[in-house]
Amino acid sequence: MRRHRTLAVLALLGPFCLLFAGCFLAPIGYALYQSLLKVERSGPLGLGSDRSVFAGAANYAAALRDDEFTGSVVRVLLFGVVQVPLMIVLAVVLALLLESASARWVPFFRSAFFLPHGVPGVIASILWGFLYVPGISPIVKLLDDLGLQVNFLSSGTVLWSIANIVTWQFAGYNMLIVIAQLKAVRLELYEAAKIDGANAWQLARYLKLPMARPAIVLTTVFSIIGTLQLFSEPLVLRPLTVAVNDTYTPNLNAYTQAFVNNNYNLAAAEAVLLALVACVLSFGFLRLVGRQEDE
Amino acid sequence: MAPAKLTRRTLLTGTAAAAGLALAGCSSSTDEAAAPPSRKPGEKITLAFWSWVPGIEKSVDLWNSKNPEVQVKLEKVIAGNKGAYPKMFAALKAGNPPDLGQVEYQQIPSFLLEEGLTDLTKLGINDHAGKFVDWQWQQGVFGDGVYAVPQASGPMGMYYREDRFKAWGVQPPTTWDEFETAARAIRKADPKSYICSFPPTSGGWFSAMSWQAGAKWFDVRGDDWVVNIDSEQTRQVATYWEKLIRADLVKPEPDQQSGWFAEVQAGTIGCWVAAQWGDAILAGNAANTSGKWRVAQMPQWDLAKPASSNWGGSSTAVLNGSKYPKEALEFALWLNTDPASVDLLIQGGYGWPAAKDAFSGSALDKPSPFFGNAKYNEVFAKSDQLIDKSWKWIPTISDTHRHLGDAITAAIAKKTSFADAIATVQQQTVADLTAKGLKVATA
Repeated sequence: MRRHRTLAVLALLGPFCLLFAGCFLAPIGYALYQSLLKVERSGPLGLGSDRSVFAGAANYAAALRDDEFTGSVVRVLLFGVVQVPLMIVLAVVLALLLESASARWVPFFRSAFFLPHGVPGVIASILWGFLYVPGISPIVKLLDDLGLQVNFLSSGTVLWSIANIVTWQFAGYNMLIVIAQLKAVRLELYEAAKIDGANAWQLARYLKLPMARPAIVLTTVFSIIGTLQLFSEPLVLRPLTVAVNDTYTPNLNAYTQAFVNNNYNLAAAEAVLLALVACVLSFGFLRLVGRQEDE
Repeated sequence: MAPAKLTRRTLLTGTAAAAGLALAGCSSSTDEAAAPPSRKPGEKITLAFWSWVPGIEKSVDLWNSKNPEVQVKLEKVIAGNKGAYPKMFAALKAGNPPDLGQVEYQQIPSFLLEEGLTDLTKLGINDHAGKFVDWQWQQGVFGDGVYAVPQASGPMGMYYREDRFKAWGVQPPTTWDEFETAARAIRKADPKSYICSFPPTSGGWFSAMSWQAGAKWFDVRGDDWVVNIDSEQTRQVATYWEKLIRADLVKPEPDQQSGWFAEVQAGTIGCWVAAQWGDAILAGNAANTSGKWRVAQMPQWDLAKPASSNWGGSSTAVLNGSKYPKEALEFALWLNTDPASVDLLIQGGYGWPAAKDAFSGSALDKPSPFFGNAKYNEVFAKSDQLIDKSWKWIPTISDTHRHLGDAITAAIAKKTSFADAIATVQQQTVADLTAKGLKVATA
């Protein structure tokens, strides 16, 4: 019997553990290892030979000294501070509206709000790119006709144009998670609240919002991580504007170091640093909301 | 962890850089390098070739029909930094690179640094030097080694809208002074139009502008890579464009993008100083303007000393690790010099031939309806003769081009001096090379 159980445990957990080790732990370990090495060159013009030698924290120091890298981290943090709350509030409001008693055509609107998430990020960026580029964009032209000169791709605005793409893509998705949580609330609670005379606003404020809290926390953590990993949107918009370069976000920076400059060691160090920042922010946020819950 | 110091002298004895590469690649590869493996007579082999050149498959098919024993398998890859190079570098690292690859001139040093290219001198490539335009041949020469078979380049000229210049009442400029005057007259005649746009993030274009002015950004001297971006000539170019931008005489915006194409189609941009391969870009994206374009030489700094420049260009290289480098070189030479192959490549639009004397009588040497039935390529044939031959690239050129784009973009936005931006790029480039573990000198 016991033997059978061990076998069952192995059979059920085995595939997961194998994939987890092969596709998750191993690459992380390899990145950590790579981040501690550097390439040493010799011979005329440095073309003679190269070999990898232990570098200690040299790559980390180089990454932290690099204004382009630190600048890109600060940029996505600014992005996150503005975009994440905006999007989460929007998602929650949409969810509450669709879950209110007076909502009409709920399935249609729910699908409509979720639909942008079905568009792959690259396609979404190309699509919005066309709506941003002066000379092509009907929006720019319309505003121009109204006497408003806007440039969605200038150095001051492009970050928020990217925020718009991300919000468009993910607000509906986050809304769906919040709705799923609200659906899990027992109907008796709503009935009890209604019998006690709660109106729609009070229902939302004192019942639904607290009930949806776990979903809101979850979507916020996902959004923080997603923000730090911004990649395809700036990559696609890059050729359209001088305001986005190859080191615009930390991920793009690491990609450029690895695949354009062949500097795998520095790229690995940047990736590890980025993961650390994501960890600190995610767990920091979880602790913050956890503490509030205790109080 | 100090490595045993190999001095240049010890390395340069024997067969020089070639031996240096082999020596450094430790014992087993030394043997391989000494006697390159080759095909047994009658043995059938297949060479892998990664390229993105449009229409190159036709040349490959022609070769395959003539060489049943040495077949070439072409794999189309995405051009440049977006696909081909990351893929080639990864394959080199993994030890299974293709036999042949498309490598742009400006990327050859980056590949050398990763030990990615085969020195072709030991396979006898020097016997074929005379078949290629000299400056393009030089792009593959480092030390005593030759690392690439030149394929095509981008001699520069000025594409301009004859009808628009007439409507504005402005003569097409022949010097940069006239260019400025014309730019001013166009703004006055038609406030919606500009003589041209200035692409702030196009490092290749700005390099070409500096190349024409006589700058020599990079060189090699002994063991050192020489960086001389911050020179009088570069500052002259930078200051000139800064003046035009400040006076709103040119429009700073990325070229070859949808917004720019819309302006080209509308005729609110009068000209484009660009490479010969720009013809297909204009014809393909602004078909409605057919017949209205003409081509002239680039505006000159000094009419007494005419100079042109080059933008882009690439080679066929034999990658390090090919089992059949001799056959790979044979194919590369045939591909880029055989008249039938070159003709097919020209039809595909591969650029300006690196093969000597390939122009006259070829498909390029014909009147074109898009350019008002002019034999416009005669301009580029002359331009090709006016290019400074000694221009070199460095292994961190992608970085330099990015720094340049960033610095100039910032200078435009903050209204700071372009000359200072150039000085910054010089410092950053020296730092990039140093960080790669290379020795750097400044001129």
